[in-house]
Amino acid sequence: MPYYLFLSRSITHAQRMSRALEQAGITARFFRPPMGLTDRGCSYAVRVSASALPAARERLRQAGLQPMRVFYDGGDGTFSETTL
Amino acid sequence: MIYFDSAATTLQKPEAVSRAVASAIHTMTTPGRGDYPAARQAAELMLRCRTEAAEFFGAPEPDSVILTHNATHALNIAIKSLVSPGDTVVISGYEHNAVTRPLYAIGGVSIRIVNGRLFDPEQMAEGFRRAVDGGVKAVICTHVSNVFGCAMPMDDIAAVCREQGVPLVVDAAQSAGILPVNLGRWDAAYVAMPGHKGLYGPQGTGLLLCGRGVRPKTLLEGGTGSLSRQQDMPDFLPDRLEAGTQNVHGAAGLLEGLRFVRQRGVENIARQEANIIRQLAEGLRRKGRFQVFDGGGADSSVLSVAPQWTDPESLADRLARQGVAVRSGLHCAPLAHRTAGTAETGTVRFSASVFNTPGEVEQVLALL
Repeated sequence: MPYYLFLSRSITHAQRMSRALEQAGITARFFRPPMGLTDRGCSYAVRVSASALPAARERLRQAGLQPMRVFYDGGDGTFSETTL
Repeated sequence: MIYFDSAATTLQKPEAVSRAVASAIHTMTTPGRGDYPAARQAAELMLRCRTEAAEFFGAPEPDSVILTHNATHALNIAIKSLVSPGDTVVISGYEHNAVTRPLYAIGGVSIRIVNGRLFDPEQMAEGFRRAVDGGVKAVICTHVSNVFGCAMPMDDIAAVCREQGVPLVVDAAQSAGILPVNLGRWDAAYVAMPGHKGLYGPQGTGLLLCGRGVRPKTLLEGGTGSLSRQQDMPDFLPDRLEAGTQNVHGAAGLLEGLRFVRQRGVENIARQEANIIRQLAEGLRRKGRFQVFDGGGADSSVLSVAPQWTDPESLADRLARQGVAVRSGLHCAPLAHRTAGTAETGTVRFSASVFNTPGEVEQVLALL
């Protein structure tokens, strides 16, 4: 299943994005993404199914929480950067 | 023991505090250091603590709440972020060494001290109006004197700072959990507070609330679990100010203490503690052997007295042997004693918590 990964600046920021999305009924687990997605070392991300992207985008906008970067996870180990 | 030293540390804590600390020790590790349940549980706990503190104290967002070791740690970050050698700052004449020593350590700081009579907020407010101008780099002020319990007119001081565009640092060591404390209301740059006094958390906990747009300097550098390839500290909060392994079990206790205060209500706590202090002050005044520093009322949960027949240390020692815990001396605030004229002898300080009772006051009065 395809996903989007919302990269965050800190674990606190990732948790807040995750919480905001979960409160809106969107499954959004935060986790440590593959190191290759960031050139600055450890980071955090929130994973959202591709079908939930429009709702997630709107919810994050309402909450004033923006991801630092967004990646599309094709489910085959490849990631491509995109925008919200 | 009858405990009247809560301005140093509250000894009696809600049961939930110790339960939470014990539970965290056994179940939680450190946020951001792994993706396993113990780390995730710790991360969840830290976020809850930040979120509830931000709501309660008017911080812009959970990220603006920094978990520190104590109020002194928080004040050091705030002061050293704003003040450099050669700067001019304004402080009250009732500051603790937690404010004056960092200023002294920076070196070359010109300090304008606003002196005013005890329990005369109008005079203090006027003093700040006169002392603060656009050339001042920061105003640093205690909300409540840790020696005399007098509350500073913080709304007025904050208004002066806003008008002059000067950052305000509030030392809420004696007011957090006892009087309304709100960073947003004051538009303060920083508010510092301990966790182990009026918030009923464990020792080794404190909070630094950061106002919108501040650019704090780091006091410590090290691992944060974020941006690990980068050798500069992260430029975002809270990571920038929380290097190293965090005091997660302390935060667990602090969170429960905070919930206890919120559940009781600050107004109710203030009223209850003021009643205890008033009862104590009236009883001591009736004895005629004490100089009682209370301004005829009670601003907070702290009362200083000067015994007229012995020195404060001897009296505190005698009370300790009789099962009453109080604090004597200068209370780490020599400036406050100089301002009030008690620097030579110091005072005996009684400080209450919600766990003190009128019956305890009567027992103490009977010993004096």
